[in-house]
Amino acid sequence: MIDPAPDAATGAMPSVGDSAAPGGRSFAHASEAEMARILDFYGVAWHYEPTTFPILWNLDGEVVESFSPDFFLPEFDLYLEMTTLKQSLVRKKNRKLRRLRELYPDIRIKLFYARDFRAMMLKYGRLGLARSLSGASGQLVGGALLGELAMTPTSASPMAAMPDPIASLTAAPTPSRRRRSGRPAERETA
Amino acid sequence: MKTITDLRSDIGEILLTEGQIQSRVAELGASVSADYAGRSLTLVSVLKGSLPFMADLMRSIDRPLRIDLMEVSSYGGATTESSGLVRILKDLSSSIEGEDVLIVEDIIDTGLTLNYLVRYLRGKKPASLRICTLLDKPARRLVEIDVDYIGFTIPDQFVVGYGLDYGELYRNLRFVGVLRPEVYSSPE
Repeated sequence: MIDPAPDAATGAMPSVGDSAAPGGRSFAHASEAEMARILDFYGVAWHYEPTTFPILWNLDGEVVESFSPDFFLPEFDLYLEMTTLKQSLVRKKNRKLRRLRELYPDIRIKLFYARDFRAMMLKYGRLGLARSLSGASGQLVGGALLGELAMTPTSASPMAAMPDPIASLTAAPTPSRRRRSGRPAERETA
Repeated sequence: MKTITDLRSDIGEILLTEGQIQSRVAELGASVSADYAGRSLTLVSVLKGSLPFMADLMRSIDRPLRIDLMEVSSYGGATTESSGLVRILKDLSSSIEGEDVLIVEDIIDTGLTLNYLVRYLRGKKPASLRICTLLDKPARRLVEIDVDYIGFTIPDQFVVGYGLDYGELYRNLRFVGVLRPEVYSSPE
């Protein structure tokens, strides 16, 4: 669906076929998987975390902080960063976003807040889903939502026993955490 | 079952009165009439929310015109679960090739549905393709789309009435109002 091209900022190749096979993707948060399904539904091409932007260096010139927007929509030349954390915990991400805009003024990026996600789910009649996917409880850990795991009775391996709640909604992306080697952790855990 | 009184009581605030809507629709109709003088105009409305706006707008346009209706599946709807892709539930009844087409929308928020429709209709080779929406909610915009006629730019609130629904209700209210959050935030 998307012609691969090296990223202008990093030279990295974007993921190819994201839109065609969201079920094969790994997402850090269930809300991101849901967003991927919505974009697919409306035929909007996307790449998942195709670019990591360095935003802070130490005195030796080493990157000590970077920012990887969740989605890139090539048709609109737009990055999309989702944060379903509570608004009170978004400050850090807003700071990184400001830094990104200072350093890369030509980048177009939209921050999609928890309230935006809730509004979208309300529109699509899935407000209940928005509740289950919001904040830390929406993080995917070993195939299950963190919020669901928190309610699981103590056992040696609660994750193994947990059904994937997302899988029951639609064809689910591979629920595992993906992180590039050498890349600093991006996700905040509320 | 809810009565019409119940529906009205679910509205926390009237955002646009019937009078405000009718006045603005008349202005939009006058603008469209002027812009499309001597041209072959087809209004394409998207079911179901645009019906009242379409009915009023078409009667405020002082030009010969044709109308057509489309319906597309919405994300999360029962008709969409099997494919995971948007589907045309009702296509145009006649060709728009070479026609000047004006899409009539009730509301634009994310722009995803409209973006899909614009691409779909462009494929049918109209002479021109423009967009008219009664309501624009730019705070929710995900994909940018150029809109040619905007009735009202509204704040980031969940609105119903004058075609807009929640759970298929409230469409027949004559005004546009903000739905009380407790109506949709109660456990499902």
